[in-house]
Amino acid sequence: MIKHETIETNSGLLLVLTLVAIGIGGLVEIVPLFHINDTIEKVVDENGKQMVRPYTPLEQAGRDIYTREGCYLCHSQQIRPFRDEALRYGHYSLAAESQYDHPFQWGSMRRGPDLARVGGKYSDAWHVAHLNGPRSVVPESIMPNYPWLLKTELNYADYADNLSALRSVGVPYSVNETEYQANVEKFGEDVAPSLVIADAVKNLEAQAKSGNYDGNASSISEMDALVAYLQVLGTMVDFSKFDEGHFIKYR
Amino acid sequence: MAQTGVAVSTEQYNYDIIKKFSIMAVFWGVCGMSTGVYIASELAWPFLNFDTAQITFGRLRPVHTTLVIFGFGGNALFATSYYVVQRTCQTRLAGGNGLAMFTLIGWNIAILAGALTYPMGITQSREYAEFEWPIDLLIAAVWMVYLWIYTMTLRNRTQAHIYVANWFYLGFILATALLHTFNNLAMPVSLTKSYSLFAGVQDAMTQWWYGHNAVGFFLTAAFLGMMYYFVPKQAGRPVYSYRLSVLHFWALSFMYMWVGGHHLHWTSLPDWTSSLAASFSIILLIPSWGGMINGIMTLSGAWDKLRSDPIMMFMITALSFYGMSTFEGPMMALKSVNALSHYTDWTVGHVHSGALGWVAMISFGSFYHMIPRLYGMKKMYSEKLIYVHFFLATIGVVVYITALWVSGIGQGLMLRAFDEYGNLAYTFIESVSFMHLPLATRALGGAFFVTGMITMAYNVYKTIQMAKDVDQAGVNNIASKMAKA
Amino acid sequence: MFDWLEWFTHMENSKPFALVVLFVGFVGVIIYLFTGKKRGERLESYKNMPFLDDDDDLQPPRTDKGEKNE
Repeated sequence: MIKHETIETNSGLLLVLTLVAIGIGGLVEIVPLFHINDTIEKVVDENGKQMVRPYTPLEQAGRDIYTREGCYLCHSQQIRPFRDEALRYGHYSLAAESQYDHPFQWGSMRRGPDLARVGGKYSDAWHVAHLNGPRSVVPESIMPNYPWLLKTELNYADYADNLSALRSVGVPYSVNETEYQANVEKFGEDVAPSLVIADAVKNLEAQAKSGNYDGNASSISEMDALVAYLQVLGTMVDFSKFDEGHFIKYR
Repeated sequence: MAQTGVAVSTEQYNYDIIKKFSIMAVFWGVCGMSTGVYIASELAWPFLNFDTAQITFGRLRPVHTTLVIFGFGGNALFATSYYVVQRTCQTRLAGGNGLAMFTLIGWNIAILAGALTYPMGITQSREYAEFEWPIDLLIAAVWMVYLWIYTMTLRNRTQAHIYVANWFYLGFILATALLHTFNNLAMPVSLTKSYSLFAGVQDAMTQWWYGHNAVGFFLTAAFLGMMYYFVPKQAGRPVYSYRLSVLHFWALSFMYMWVGGHHLHWTSLPDWTSSLAASFSIILLIPSWGGMINGIMTLSGAWDKLRSDPIMMFMITALSFYGMSTFEGPMMALKSVNALSHYTDWTVGHVHSGALGWVAMISFGSFYHMIPRLYGMKKMYSEKLIYVHFFLATIGVVVYITALWVSGIGQGLMLRAFDEYGNLAYTFIESVSFMHLPLATRALGGAFFVTGMITMAYNVYKTIQMAKDVDQAGVNNIASKMAKA
Repeated sequence: MFDWLEWFTHMENSKPFALVVLFVGFVGVIIYLFTGKKRGERLESYKNMPFLDDDDDLQPPRTDKGEKNE
């Protein structure tokens, strides 16, 4: 007969059994997520290309600022399948849409509105004014002012290093011709060049210049990067291409 | 002659390290809770961000959570676990002074580093795990040493049995080691920047598996260890039912790890995961309440202490809040309730009814019991100040959580309201305006709680001074006797 | 040889299976703990452990400092 005394008089046994008790739950909940294929929906366009692509260097640099400032503490990036959220924010979030998000920024709190589909909702100028002084456009806002974003030059000289780190955790930025061709196959010819690590700085400068998000073409500010990131959020999947109930089978 | 006896009892346990951890806990408690009141005020009055990057809400909020959870809570757990393990095993800490000092210094450097780097924007942006990777490595090293000290002290015990409080502490140390390791896997870019190994859904699940179990093991199991030692000691009678505590421990350890998914209801996480988490959250009510009943019933037959002993008042109030928040939690894990409560202040209020009501109050009670004993005093400097602290803390918690129920449930209802034509009845910003009054009230509740904490810091300071004076008087006494002789 | 493991990969099998196993385990623990008068008394006797260190309150330990000052 096993007695509980055996456990409580043997520190080694107590340690092992405790480890077993606490280990099972985590294993059952997390491990399957890495193996079950339909955890992440397949979202492809009519040419068979993936709609959700990794961020361009400028967008990713903007994302770094988003995480640095702790935006996730007040803004979620995860729309739930409810009627009010559909009206307010748009189609509910797909797992596919955050598949290149290291780390995820779904958030846990809405002191401000959800941002999962904020891309394209407002003009660049609105974002610049809002980030610089939120109460200048929304008088009741409780968001802090972020005046330093316009004044601080984006530090991007070594940005290829960031993309390399992201590549090593699984984001398909390319370092050679084979990987480049794979990206052409997967995302199409217009996306693949933006994922070349060697061209990171060149691509970043080009996008900042053509986008001119902060209205000041003479330099690339942190505001340029952050607005570029905000403007791409939720815009990659074109929901008009799918039937209304298409994604339900993945839930 | 009396002096020799005293010297022996000094040798019996390593109290020095416990004193240092206790003082650090009180120090970080004052800092962390004050930061909390400040950021709460920023939400009510946004001008307080002062256009300064380092003190914006987004950068200060991790400072608050880190200082209170790991600074106050962590140091309190180190202190009490070292106290309980030595006294119930009747042996000194394994590894001697050096290793214990390493845990003290390493842990507190990590806390300080966190508090200094977040305002600079150095963060992993994972809630409650914001430390960048070099600090994570330091924490991992400290934790391994802690685990070693703890298990080796258990092995060196002179008692046949390991007391139940130690099981909970051991479970907490093991679980935290697992959680910390897996949630912080990342690829560094530089000393100050890294990208998490996982992305999207997997990252979310890993983070909330960590996030909820930080609550489950760091803020619950470990403080239950505190409860199982200090409540019986303060009440002067053994725990109500030992068998219930056996059931409590195994059920809690097994079930807590399953429930993290309830933070991700209605998200892109596969439905089965969050449903499973919801089911376990509800079953978890049973061991939680078993533990609460076990703690409260320990007092049966000595209920009069609830009137006469402010330390006991702290402990029983803590257990009541534990019972309340372990009921509220499973309810909020129901998908239908969660649809309303998630993303609102209701969640924040719930966390604080656990963190202030349960975690902080049981720590206050345990500290008021332990600190005089560490310094060889019969009791704290002022019992009256313990009463004052108790009432400030209780009023503070009640004001705080009530304000956030109003704010959270109010916002939840506003955002899902439709007008007669089927359009949204309110814009988002209207819900923000509505929240101003509750948020201001919440800051006031927090201010009450901080005032209580400062009262405690003063009381502890005076107690230590008093102990020093007594020591000095004893030394002078002997010196004068020797001079006469 | 390991084909029988297939059976567990179907949710409709593994869910009730896990439920039964866990419930039986839970009931087993409860029966072990709360039946048997002798076993109960024996288990309850361990709850006095915190009171075995008798120096509490009576012989307050001195600080290290006080000792060195002698």
